[in-house]
Amino acid sequence: MAAEIAQPYPSAEVASDTLVDVRNLKVHFPIRGGLLGRTVASVKAVDGVDLTIKRGETLGLVGESGCGKSTLGRAVLQLVKPTDGSVIFEGTDLTRTSYGTLRRMRADMQMIFQDPFSSLDPRFTVGRIISEPMVNFGRGTSQEREARVKELLQVVGLNPAWVHRYPHEFSGGQRQRIGIARALALNPKFIVADEPISALDVSIQAQVLNLLADLRDQFNLTYLFIAHNLSAVKHVSKRVAVMYLGHIVELGSGDDVYANPQHPYTIALLSASPIPDPELELTRKRIILTGDVPSPVNPPSGCPFHPRCWKAQAICREVAPPLEEKRPNQIAACHFPGA
Amino acid sequence: MSTIQSEQSPQAGIGVELTPELLRKRRGQLRIIFDRFIRNKVAVAGLAVLALITLAAIFAPVITHQTATFDPNTATDVYHIASGPIPGHPLGTDYVGRDEVARLLFGARVSLLVGLASMVASIFIGVSVGALAGYYGGWLDNLMMRVTDAFLAIPLYLILFVLAATFTTGSGSASVIGVIVLIAAFSWPATARIVRGEFLGLKEREFLLAARTLGANDFRLMLRHILPNAAGPVIVAATLLVGFNIITESTLSFFNFGVQPPESSWGTMLATSQDYFSEQPLLVLIPGVAILITVLSINLVGDGLRDALDPYMTER
Repeated sequence: MAAEIAQPYPSAEVASDTLVDVRNLKVHFPIRGGLLGRTVASVKAVDGVDLTIKRGETLGLVGESGCGKSTLGRAVLQLVKPTDGSVIFEGTDLTRTSYGTLRRMRADMQMIFQDPFSSLDPRFTVGRIISEPMVNFGRGTSQEREARVKELLQVVGLNPAWVHRYPHEFSGGQRQRIGIARALALNPKFIVADEPISALDVSIQAQVLNLLADLRDQFNLTYLFIAHNLSAVKHVSKRVAVMYLGHIVELGSGDDVYANPQHPYTIALLSASPIPDPELELTRKRIILTGDVPSPVNPPSGCPFHPRCWKAQAICREVAPPLEEKRPNQIAACHFPGA
Repeated sequence: MSTIQSEQSPQAGIGVELTPELLRKRRGQLRIIFDRFIRNKVAVAGLAVLALITLAAIFAPVITHQTATFDPNTATDVYHIASGPIPGHPLGTDYVGRDEVARLLFGARVSLLVGLASMVASIFIGVSVGALAGYYGGWLDNLMMRVTDAFLAIPLYLILFVLAATFTTGSGSASVIGVIVLIAAFSWPATARIVRGEFLGLKEREFLLAARTLGANDFRLMLRHILPNAAGPVIVAATLLVGFNIITESTLSFFNFGVQPPESSWGTMLATSQDYFSEQPLLVLIPGVAILITVLSINLVGDGLRDALDPYMTER
């Protein structure tokens, strides 16, 4: 399993504790129009993202619907072809590698999907669903695979006797556990969890979050944890990235970002989460953002957040603020950071 | 691989009580479909009739008490010509004295063979074209669908007559193969469209994205994940195609472009007996009713399958 693929693209620059290095990643979806289907515009779902994810860490990625966070997660795994930029996984640039190499490397990077109802093939039994990755990669004999499936079911808290059942016989939370077991089947190093709990009942969300945290510690996993809910991200991840309109606007340790948000968008997001203390909750000042999220087809000039920002000045309309350190180990893209 | 210490988590092993309701839900999908089909009495009746016709075609020599050397196309009873039902000939004889029961049963073999074989070939072409077009999209989709449109724009019988004039001139069984190929070549576009539509819808589903992250290649994605989920509409299309193809064959044969004598099908029986309609209308009615009953049964089964396979039909 440890056979590193010899393709030392920029490995010299990559620190050894970095598992995933995303550089200037862009995903633009073309909009075709006219008789000849020419590209008339493009949706800039991800527009120049830099991220590093260290081994064993969980990087939380938050942002509202349509900000490009799911697309970013998929582009990291090359499920969506990036328009530009690179994704370096253990020294190999996934955007430039061959189909065969990429396919082999898929064993090390898996995904947990948002919708537990559409992410499992309705015609496969649980056993077939979980053993499929092993079949694809030719791991083990059929007896070994069967044993492994039962082991995995137990690991995610399901009854191993349920291997012959179909997905429709399970509840949402159970199905999500099946999805997690499938993602674990190949002993991956890196898992993109794309809003793994947002489709679940509130009572089940905590269970699945705890399961993901336990598995990370047990198998030394690295997560890119995508969510639109700040509290869920806070629960599992040490570092948090905030995304807005295809850009990372703030990135830092969870504690710093929550205690001292630098970007106005982060401040607004935080002010939207309720505080579980009634007295404090009464004093909570909510910042209501006005206006809609601008269209990613035609993003605003300068800072992408300026049309909705209460601090916006003339410079915000003209110059896009660079993502730079505003406090120690906390970067933000804002001309007027801080509260 | 053996690094998992399977730590018993609190949820594991909680036995769910097997209530009757749960047991009902545990039936496999095939079972559910079967149960739904069985409840459709009309479709089951169609299936029964169809089974009867198929058995009769298979055991035609046994039913007609004939020896292996018997040829229904040449065995004539010159004492009875276009006789109508008489002892020894329950459905009478035709204009050269051939037994109608034998003609009907042996004709069923040809009609069913043509219907089934051309369906299989047609479904194979249709599924391949539709799957590739729907899965890959882009210029391939455009090209394949424009070809499909072109095929759909051709007046079917006109081109079949023209081509049949060259293709099915061979006598006997050669003409049967010619008819099968011809019908298959022009009946696939509808299937291709259905399959393409299914593939377009299914390929965006998350479980396909999941399968790709799990290392499945394109071929596996199409064959193992998308096609089984598109099976319902394809099975229905296949069933209806059999009926349609039997009619097409009969039409071709009726105009003498299809199965050539001495080989006979229900279509040729219709064609050769129409001149004797005023004297012996039974000779036209018998193959006509046979075609009607067979195609009707097939279509009823097809409708039943469509309802049974529809996942949105609530279970009652």
